[in-house]
Amino acid sequence: MGPVSASSTIAPLGVKPHRASAKEGARQAQIHRLLPKPLLIVILTALLVFAMVPVLYIFFASINSDLAVARGAFWPTELTFENYSKIWTTVDLGTGLVNSVLVAGGVALVCAALSVSTAYVLVRYAFRGRLLVLRGLLALQSIPGTLLLLPVFVLFSTAASTLGVQIIGTRWGLFLTYLTFALPFSTWVMVTYLRGLPRELEEAARLDGASPFKILTRIIVPLSWPGIVVSGIFAFLLGWNDVLFASVMTRPESRTVAVALQIFGATQEGGAVPVYGQMMAAALVCAVPVVVLYLIFQRYLVGGLTAGGVK
Amino acid sequence: MVTTPEARTRADALAAASAASADATPARSTARRDGHPAPSSPSRLNGRPRGARKTGERDRPLWMLAPGGILMVIVILVPLVLGLVISLMDLDQYTLRQWVSAPFIGISNYVEALTKSSLIQSIGISVGYSVLVTLVCLPIGVAAALATQNRFRGRGLVRSLFLVPYVLPTFVVGTVWRTMLQPDGVGNAMLANFGIDGGLWLNGPQSYWALVFVQIWASWPFIYLLVLSGLQSVDAEVHEASALDGAGWWTKLRYVILPYLKGPITLALIISFLHSVNNFTLPFVLFGIPAPADVNVLPVLTYITGFQNFRFGLSAAMAVVSLILIAIPLFIYLRAVKLDTGEDGGSRVRK
Repeated sequence: MGPVSASSTIAPLGVKPHRASAKEGARQAQIHRLLPKPLLIVILTALLVFAMVPVLYIFFASINSDLAVARGAFWPTELTFENYSKIWTTVDLGTGLVNSVLVAGGVALVCAALSVSTAYVLVRYAFRGRLLVLRGLLALQSIPGTLLLLPVFVLFSTAASTLGVQIIGTRWGLFLTYLTFALPFSTWVMVTYLRGLPRELEEAARLDGASPFKILTRIIVPLSWPGIVVSGIFAFLLGWNDVLFASVMTRPESRTVAVALQIFGATQEGGAVPVYGQMMAAALVCAVPVVVLYLIFQRYLVGGLTAGGVK
Repeated sequence: MVTTPEARTRADALAAASAASADATPARSTARRDGHPAPSSPSRLNGRPRGARKTGERDRPLWMLAPGGILMVIVILVPLVLGLVISLMDLDQYTLRQWVSAPFIGISNYVEALTKSSLIQSIGISVGYSVLVTLVCLPIGVAAALATQNRFRGRGLVRSLFLVPYVLPTFVVGTVWRTMLQPDGVGNAMLANFGIDGGLWLNGPQSYWALVFVQIWASWPFIYLLVLSGLQSVDAEVHEASALDGAGWWTKLRYVILPYLKGPITLALIISFLHSVNNFTLPFVLFGIPAPADVNVLPVLTYITGFQNFRFGLSAAMAVVSLILIAIPLFIYLRAVKLDTGEDGGSRVRK
């Protein structure tokens, strides 16, 4: 990295050419400071409250009684984890979770494999239409789902009647849809990642007569795990978070957890006592896998987010 | 420095040779001779990735593009065309089964969508709320990035927490806020502490502001993220220089730092706008179906027309109109992203 990173704010202190004294460090911090300290504290406090109060509320409400939540209590009046045991019978959350894990997990694995091979060819080989494909990858991400929902539905229904394969209402229909929708972005993430890999190892292997496929599996894949993980996680999130397609293309037994929660929420009002406490518990259960994935792989994911800017 | 294709190829070969083991060298020269005839003209090399030059046409593993390519053609491109075709048909639940033989009615769906449906209204709501959300998110995101750019105790934790609203699945965000914004919910209870009567948030005119607020809550961290990565590319010398000049924090921010952020901010604005315009899940989960008239955004209208009223042709026409709507920001976005960074790989979004 050299001297460029020496005074960069993200470089660890040890990288500096001569170890900076505490005084020097303070001077550096002073120079790099962008906001006066009081303003800094105001901004940080305000934003933390803004961002975290609703998040805390999910947890507090999930350990509160349904009645207290319905009456607008923020702090839990009684600590009870009953909601977490009740939700499994109130709503078919278990089936939803299994479906979501199977579909989103399958999409993540296959998408990661396909995107690394596709990106490898796009980055390392020249062919007619290469730039068109790259541009297409970016464009395809931004096509609204509502535009594709109906035609995909019609296409899958037609496949059912002409080929005799039932796709609508099965997990396979969702799997195919999510896999394809995840591919452009995941591939783009891999393209940006592979561009940063040195070519020397591949060249050496190629000179030794290794086939492109062997180079991909033996050299590229082991070297690009962080990128592969990121593109897999984004594919997983797409499958886990989707409501649009899952609301149309599933039956009760193939419903994902997103639709299960949405229907649960939509049927609360107008009935007897709404079970809001349980609903918040269910919401938290749906959010946990995503938040855990994010916390574990945060460092890689943030880079991926800025790469193409798609949730 | 002028580099001819030949010279660059030689340099590459040298680099490769230094990495390859000694006994592989003869193999290299043969591979190069039969694998890759000398380029006929320098222009052929333009726009090619660096690694491509040393491999022959013969062993390019283009078949690896096939699985992903076939999927994208069948599940994205074909439906895209199919959507255009359906938008010209009178397709409803009765004709869906034999959709191929549904009556072809030209642009009637478009005429109906523009004159008899609430499409124009929905476009207004969608664009208005997306612009509003994006404009409010901008200062929040910039402030958050400026505040967390400097080292302080607990900065890592703060950065992680800032991203939580963005990371939560949209259907969870919708469900939670739907609960909080109930007439007797915690939202109104908190407002009552300040002596404000909140009223209805999920119905009637205030639902629009509920949507704007929740969307801001969930999407500002994205702008924060892009601005933060932009801030990190500001050289240390810039900070040193403005300190030497004795610039105050506002002067420095306004005239030194902000110009650096123009690119990331532009990009963040475009992507944020596209996210809001295309967001179906949040209004759908927050308000349910049918949506209140004030939050009948474009994706929800398209969905209801198609899958509640079963006017498939009309719905497809609306979807095509929405594609035209996002085409302009999308075009700018595509121009802003550098496609082929060639030699300096690794860097991503540029402006």
